[in-house]
Amino acid sequence: MTRLENVTKYMMALLTTLVVTTLYAPIIMTIFFSFYKTRKGLVNWESFSYEPYTKLIFEKQILESLLNSLYVGSLTVVCSVVVGFYFANYYHTSRGRMKELLQFIIFLPFLMPPIITGLSLLIFFREIGLPRSLNTVVIGHTIFVLAIVFKIILNKLETLKSSLMESAYDLGASKLQAFWYVLLPNIKLSLIIAGLLAFTISLDETLITLFLIGSDTTWPIKLWAKMRVGFSKQVNASVTLILILTSFLVLLIATIVSRSEKRIMY
Amino acid sequence: MKSVIDYFSSSIWTIISFILIIFLILIPLGSFLSYSFFTVDGLDINHEFSLANYKEFFIDEIYINTFVRTVFLALTVMFSCILLGYPVAYFLARYAGKFKYAILLMLIIPLFMSYIIKIYMMRSILGYSGLINKVLKMLDIIEKPLEFFLWNQNAVIITLVIILLPLIIIPTFISLDKIPSNIIEASFDLGCKPFQAFKYVIFPIGFPGLVVGSIFVFILALGDFVTPQLVGGTSGFTYGKIIYSNFGLAFNWPFGASLASILLFVSVIIIALTNYLTKKRKS
Repeated sequence: MTRLENVTKYMMALLTTLVVTTLYAPIIMTIFFSFYKTRKGLVNWESFSYEPYTKLIFEKQILESLLNSLYVGSLTVVCSVVVGFYFANYYHTSRGRMKELLQFIIFLPFLMPPIITGLSLLIFFREIGLPRSLNTVVIGHTIFVLAIVFKIILNKLETLKSSLMESAYDLGASKLQAFWYVLLPNIKLSLIIAGLLAFTISLDETLITLFLIGSDTTWPIKLWAKMRVGFSKQVNASVTLILILTSFLVLLIATIVSRSEKRIMY
Repeated sequence: MKSVIDYFSSSIWTIISFILIIFLILIPLGSFLSYSFFTVDGLDINHEFSLANYKEFFIDEIYINTFVRTVFLALTVMFSCILLGYPVAYFLARYAGKFKYAILLMLIIPLFMSYIIKIYMMRSILGYSGLINKVLKMLDIIEKPLEFFLWNQNAVIITLVIILLPLIIIPTFISLDKIPSNIIEASFDLGCKPFQAFKYVIFPIGFPGLVVGSIFVFILALGDFVTPQLVGGTSGFTYGKIIYSNFGLAFNWPFGASLASILLFVSVIIIALTNYLTKKRKS
C-alpha cells in the first residue's frame, strides 16, 4: 500500500465519520431535547426528566395521530403484500408480453416524484367523488410501496426452482394446497421483510399523505402542523419513541435478511 | 373440467389485477394530465379543453425562472451528494472490512427516520441562534451570528443533502462491493497506478449504482415541497412549493396540474435518458 493510498484511506474514513455524525445530529438533538430543558439557548443540565414521556398519555391529539399512523401502516402492509405477492407471482409464472408492461406500471409511482402520485390520486378521488380519509391515504401508500414489495417477493420467487411447484402438483396438491404447504413456507421470510419495509415507509410518508389526508391526521402530518408553533417536549418524546420503533424495525429487517442469506449459502 | 375452471379463475384474477392497477395508477395519472388542460371557474372546475395554463407558464417569467432555479438547486443537491457520498461508499466497499455492513446499516436507519423531524431539527442547527452559529461564536470565529444558513436556498440545499445522502451511498456501495479484490490487484500487477486502477477498473464498475442513486436524489430534490416550505423562507421557494400552493390556498388545481405535468415530463426525459446512457455503456 502506497503512502498516497494510506492518506486517501484515512481522509475517507474521516469523511465517513463526519457523514454518519451529520446524519444522526438532528436525531440525537431531538432525543436530547426530550429529556433536557433549555433556557435562553443554554442547556440546563440539571433539568433531566422523563416526565414528557409520562405526560404523553394526556396528549390526546398526538396519541390519536399515532394510532392513525399505525392503522394506515398496518392496512398498507396487508394490501401491498397481498397485491404485491399476486403481481410477483403473475410476473414469475406468466409468459405473456403483458408482464413487462405490468412491471413498468407498478414502478411508475415509485419512480415519479411523490408529489405527482399524490396529486393525481387527489384529482382522481375528487372526480369519482370519494371523500378524503385515512383509507384514501392507505391507497396512496399501497401504490407507493407496491414496487418495493413486488421486487422483494419477485427476487425470492426467482431463486426457487420451478420443479418445486411442479412436484407439488404431480403429488396431487390442489392449487391452494400447493400455495399453502409448499410456496408459502418458502417465501415466508420475503413476505415478512416486504411487509416490515412497507410499514416503516408508511409510518413516515409525508409528501403523498399531505394530498390525500382529510380531516384526520397521521403522525407526520401532526408534526408538520405542530411545527409552526414549535415542538413541545411531549412532541419530542413521541418522536423519540417512534425513532426507537423504526430503528428496531430496520434492525429486525437487517437481521432477517442476513440470516436468510446465510441459509441460502449452506 | 377442472382445468377449465382453473383457467378461468386464473384469467379472472389476471383481469382483476390489471383493472386494479389501471384504476389506481393509470387513470389517476390520466385524470391529472387531463386536468392540466382545464380551467377554474370560481370554486368549480371548468372541464373544457384549453391551453391557458401552459400559456401562463411560458408567458409569466416567474414560473420558468423558478423552474430553472429549482433544476439548478436539484443539480447542486445531487452533485453535493455525489461528492460526499461516493468517497463514503468507496471507503465502505474497499477499506471498512468487517465493519462495512454495520456502517451501511447505520446509514440506512436515518433514511427511515422521520423526514419532518430532520427538517425541523435542521432549523435549530442552522438557525440564527442555532448550533452552528453558537459553536462558531464560542470559537471566536465570528462576532455576529451568520444569516447565511436559514430561510434561503442554502438551507434548502443543506437540508436536502442530509436527507437524501444515504440514497446515493447505498446503491453506489452495492455496485462497488461486487468488485472482487483480485481484479483490482490484477490491475496493479499489470502496472496500473492507483489512479489508473480507479479510472479504468473501479469507477466503470461502480458507475451504474452511482447513476441510480443520483437519479433518485435529483428527482426527489426536484419535486420536494416540504423542505422549502419549512426552511426555505421567502427567498427559498421552489417549483414543488408552487405546485403545492395551487392545491392548497390558491385553489387552482388545473394550473397546479399543468405545472406538475411539466415536472413529470422533465423527470420522464431524465429517467429515459439515463436508462439509455447506462444501457449503451453496458453494450
